[in-house]
Amino acid sequence: MRISEAYYPTTAAETVELLRINPDILILAGGTEIVGLQTSRVIEFPAQVVSIAKVQEFRKTIRTEQFIELGSCTTLTGLLGLSSGTLPQPLPEVIRSIANHAIRNIATIGGNLCSRNRFMDLWPLLACMDAQVELRSPSGARWASVSHLCGEDGAPFFPKATLLARIRIPLYSYNFIVYRKLGSTLYPGPETASFVCLANVEHGKIADFRLAFSGLKAFRLKDREMAISGRKTTSSSREIKNLIDEYKRSFSSQEWFDSRLFLSLLEEAFERLFS
Amino acid sequence: MIIDITVNDQPKRLQARSGDRLVDVLRKELSLSSLFSDCLSGRCGRCFIFLDGRLAHSCLIPAFKAKGSTIVTYEALRETVEAREIIAALEKAQALPCAFCKTGKIMAIIDLLARNPLPAEEEILEQLEMVSCPCTDPVSLIAAVGIAAELRNKRKFNRADK
Repeated sequence: MRISEAYYPTTAAETVELLRINPDILILAGGTEIVGLQTSRVIEFPAQVVSIAKVQEFRKTIRTEQFIELGSCTTLTGLLGLSSGTLPQPLPEVIRSIANHAIRNIATIGGNLCSRNRFMDLWPLLACMDAQVELRSPSGARWASVSHLCGEDGAPFFPKATLLARIRIPLYSYNFIVYRKLGSTLYPGPETASFVCLANVEHGKIADFRLAFSGLKAFRLKDREMAISGRKTTSSSREIKNLIDEYKRSFSSQEWFDSRLFLSLLEEAFERLFS
Repeated sequence: MIIDITVNDQPKRLQARSGDRLVDVLRKELSLSSLFSDCLSGRCGRCFIFLDGRLAHSCLIPAFKAKGSTIVTYEALRETVEAREIIAALEKAQALPCAFCKTGKIMAIIDLLARNPLPAEEEILEQLEMVSCPCTDPVSLIAAVGIAAELRNKRKFNRADK
């Protein structure tokens, strides 16, 4: 067994300094995914590991009229504990669907977005909501869209020697919401995926349409979303079939998930949207 | 490495390796026999502790991460009025769990009632699903939690008898 060195920084600056000294250092917030997926009694860590769960800066919550900004070490239970109506829908429902209460007490929003192996439950929703993340590295800090945590190949991407400091979620509400989770509820496996479809429907017209599906990889067609936004909910069944076929064609080239399951979710969402 | 923590109101200095799970260190170093590390994945509920006031699976926490934390285990809770009320309620509802899951279920009920004095059936089932053992039927467990909630609320809020 490898003996690792453990560090306990008390500030964000100290954490970034540790990243500068060793870009391969493992940053651990809740650690539920990293630990929970290891079946051996002794957990394997790299040579150096940092526990950031108690860095106050990564636990702060700020709310303005336009957005809510959460420190990356905010636990999922902490998110649910925010006063009623603070989180935009359907975020509370999605958080409640993650693992169980005791795991949510430890797991953090940052950890949910930083998984290197797959997309966890929050990514597709936060990507659709245009949430942003503050990334800090020895070369500085920058804000990026949550969508940028997805590589060109559709797999999760997280820049090296970087830590996720904060997450900014716009407080914009949608009146059409479809969220479905497929597969295991405790630990995600190859059969686990999340489907999100958001829109605003006013006077029979669709606005701000977003649709994302993710699991081992992520699938989203932004050009199609723009094409659907502006359409009438009374579009002809032929037009709707064409839209579904376009999604179907694009998704069938993806080999990470059963396209029939995706298609049934897509049809359900479109049936509701265009009813 | 040395980990300074508070366990059941006592400051403790524990010796652990970087990859050790908290459950194993607490059992080995402090002989806390209520803790078991069976599933190592947060499924069985036999390793429940209260970590800084929140229910947690100690098998999912690397020991080094607990540095500076406050931990409460079943050993400290079993003599509390809350635990005694829950055991009395489980007996009354004929829902006493087996030896495998008893501590986990009692810890889960303590946590639930502390957060929600009047939990709905759905919440009770969701909470007790964290302890995977089919020894007690869900209907009896719901009844037992209802009785425990009655006892707790009567004591805590000095509620009049119905």
